[in-house]
Amino acid sequence: MQHGIKRKQWTKELLRHKREEDKKKIETYRALVEQMLQFRDNNNYSVEAMRLTTKVLDINPEFNTAWNYRRDIITNIGNLIDEKFWQDELKFTMIQLKRFPKVYWIWNHRVWILNNIPINQLKMWQGELIVVNALLEMDARNFHGWHYRRVVISNIEKLTKNSLNKQEFEYVTSKINKNISNYSAWHQRVQLITNMLSNDQIADKYDFMNKEIEYITNAIFTDAEDQSVWFYIIWMIKFPIVKELLGQDGYSKFLKELRENAEMINMDELEFSGKDNFWCLKIILEIDMIQNSFDNLTDRSVFKGYLEKLIKLDPLRQNRYKYLLSKLS
Amino acid sequence: MLSPERRTSMAERRPSFFAFQQATPLLVPHLAGIEDPLPEATPENVDVLIVGTGIVESVLAAALAWQGSNVLHVDSNDYYGDSSATLTVEQIKKWVSRINDNKIPCYKNAKLYASNDIGPTCKYKSRSFGIDLSPKIMFAKSDLLSILVKSRVYQYLEFQALSTFHTFENDSFEKLSNSKQEIFTNDTLPLMIKRNLMKFLKFVLNWENQPEIWEPYKDRSLADLLAEKFKLERPQVFELIFSIGLCYNTDAKIPETLQRIRRFLISFDVYGPFPVLYSKYGGAGEISQGFCRSAAVAGATYKLNEKFVSYNPETKIATFENGSKVKVEEKLVLSPSQAPEYSYNMPEQKYEVHRLTCIVEKDCSEWFNGNESAAVIVFPPNSLKSGNQEVVQAIIVGSGSECCPDGTCIWYLFTTQQGPRAELDLDAALEAMEISIIRESSVKIPQDESLVQVSEDGHSTINSFKLGQSFKEYVKREKVQFLFKLYYTQCTMVPPFNVVDPSLFMPSSGASSKFIPSACDNNVIYTAMPSSEISYDEVITAAKVIYEQIVGSDDDFFDIDFEDEDPVTSSNSYGTSRAIQYDENAIEDEEEEDIDMDQGDKDGDNSDVVGKLEI
Repeated sequence: MQHGIKRKQWTKELLRHKREEDKKKIETYRALVEQMLQFRDNNNYSVEAMRLTTKVLDINPEFNTAWNYRRDIITNIGNLIDEKFWQDELKFTMIQLKRFPKVYWIWNHRVWILNNIPINQLKMWQGELIVVNALLEMDARNFHGWHYRRVVISNIEKLTKNSLNKQEFEYVTSKINKNISNYSAWHQRVQLITNMLSNDQIADKYDFMNKEIEYITNAIFTDAEDQSVWFYIIWMIKFPIVKELLGQDGYSKFLKELRENAEMINMDELEFSGKDNFWCLKIILEIDMIQNSFDNLTDRSVFKGYLEKLIKLDPLRQNRYKYLLSKLS
Repeated sequence: MLSPERRTSMAERRPSFFAFQQATPLLVPHLAGIEDPLPEATPENVDVLIVGTGIVESVLAAALAWQGSNVLHVDSNDYYGDSSATLTVEQIKKWVSRINDNKIPCYKNAKLYASNDIGPTCKYKSRSFGIDLSPKIMFAKSDLLSILVKSRVYQYLEFQALSTFHTFENDSFEKLSNSKQEIFTNDTLPLMIKRNLMKFLKFVLNWENQPEIWEPYKDRSLADLLAEKFKLERPQVFELIFSIGLCYNTDAKIPETLQRIRRFLISFDVYGPFPVLYSKYGGAGEISQGFCRSAAVAGATYKLNEKFVSYNPETKIATFENGSKVKVEEKLVLSPSQAPEYSYNMPEQKYEVHRLTCIVEKDCSEWFNGNESAAVIVFPPNSLKSGNQEVVQAIIVGSGSECCPDGTCIWYLFTTQQGPRAELDLDAALEAMEISIIRESSVKIPQDESLVQVSEDGHSTINSFKLGQSFKEYVKREKVQFLFKLYYTQCTMVPPFNVVDPSLFMPSSGASSKFIPSACDNNVIYTAMPSSEISYDEVITAAKVIYEQIVGSDDDFFDIDFEDEDPVTSSNSYGTSRAIQYDENAIEDEEEEDIDMDQGDKDGDNSDVVGKLEI
């Protein structure tokens, strides 16, 4: 589904009307597909065949065979192809993407065009950056868009031999600021940080990590129910490089404060609504298990209490909690 | 005849917008323009006669005309809008003298100062200013906006965004942090406050379903709920009640206040990252004109300069000052501001709205967000030198709205404080604004002595000596230059709270059945004068109540079937023709300045959905 777009309500009458319409459409579509496959089996690489794939894909862009055939036609059609042809092809994918922003094959085809189009590569990819910016403006959580962004950025970086990590980090931050629940953006953040660290692009790494801690602290106080933040936090507490950069003391302090904050938020939630926030409990568990080897847990009864609560609050993972509980006793 | 001294009308500015929309077939006929030669003769009989072209009357006229009633809509003024009008400086001068001659019911205590710099041969032309008599803002999620979209009246109008709400606290303007993003990125808010604020914002979007939280506080004020249950501190409490809820005092009751806070929050992100819109070229005056234009398209007859004098319920004959008569088959609807002498049936207009409207020679861009040109400033109780008990609200409109020339700005201040105290509060708020804008704008204004000279143009009613001491003090400081200053009090029967309650607008059954032999308004339905409410919230409710009285039910209120609307099952879900219509570059288009209503309508269709808001 697309984020923030309402589903249509269908009444019985509308449904019947739609079915009749659909029937006609299906007949047309089947005929088109049959014809196209025949063309393909005859190795027909003509303009006419190209038009046929356009018609089919316009109805069903999920039909990857048609996209494959289309590429075969393009590579075989030879001297009929000029720059305008490529531009039209780009336009065609753009039209399709606007209608179906989440179809892999369209994205795939667009990348293929861009890799084959004989024009100024840098200008072209920079143009694509504008396109993907606009797309993420419309739906900031479309992971196809985020994936495409990585493709575009890596191409620009290759051509300019300049890293865009810092810029991208700022971009990701602004997207998260706009909407904390953006998994794709948090994921991209992880990628960028790892990349920046391994390319030595962060001047003061200790300071950087502490700012990151401040950032997530802000996030959990703003919305403690948002799991995308908690996923990111789990990455932070488990990722070896974070510990390395903070040093043993800094890392322990980070875990201790995070644990305290999670406890505070959970207490507050209990007081307000009478319910536990299971993400807080989960993170406390994770921290306890990192800080103490499982057999040395200092306060077994508290730990046990959290596990018992989690079995109820997070039933999907109850067997894991039960397993931990059994190990404990 | 139309007044030569008037603002460019909507019809003149946007002659036929349909001409540009060739893609959609024309359903609404070209409008010759309601400004075209007005009918010389009054029709002999009509279903409904509406007197006064204020916003409620205009919405009603359009609704009735589209429903099929034969409507005659008249106004004694030579301009549209009546109590909602947008006027030039010269028009205001005449308006003020008529108030002071007791010729306009429901208005009193008008005092005007206008600089000599506004005039035919001066730096500023009177017509460059469009001053609203009832300045209002429109929430992006509101019944008026849905009707504007449904009736397509929005196509006559241009809207701009307003996202800045300042609260005056401790002598300075605090900017609002009311979205999740602002709370998340604000680095001065303590962590626990962030959490508590977010908790409240989540709650208020769905308050009806969580009575366990608010019901224990039902007989207390929202301030108590915020402080005790949500542990919010004074600045946030004030911000929520006064800037977001736009309430008038700390007694603001639950659940009405929750409703008001939600109104603000759900309006966010309907058309963009702002909760409120205002119309370019003027507020209520412009919208009234839009509805009149729509009514005219549907067949209503318009006459300006037509003063209603009396109505005889037995013969059903309404008489006008020029002697012409019309038979009113159904009902006569009358705005209190156009009530003739001997209107003994007029409901008591017991609530006062005190207004102070200023034009300053300063662009005030410091107060606006990005390229917007309007802002709202709220002065909570006890935040002013005058020790105000009620809130003072201010709408600031800059030149980008085309309501005033470059380098100037209109400040609309108003308060629900009753009685003479109100003027002290308004003065105190004005002073605070003046100090603030001087502090915030680093650029020095060139001093010009002639600018502040007292206007002595023979109109005793509009001379500045009536302004009293306070204004002279400003003159001496010579900092913010005032081009125009207007005080007036407007009366209304609508109380200053919960104006969406239809019962407030029910014509009291006693009045309509009572027959007073010497009265000229027996059996007349009175509309309500604008209330002190900062938004247009009451307009549709008020119009619907009267519509229902005339038609019998409000089921078909603006039930207009524009046939060029897409049927629900779009036949082109895979049509190539549609795909080709897409403009490849559309995705790269820069954001347009004007707001595209169609866009928002699509997600905004179901008014119950609040899920879009990312809180």
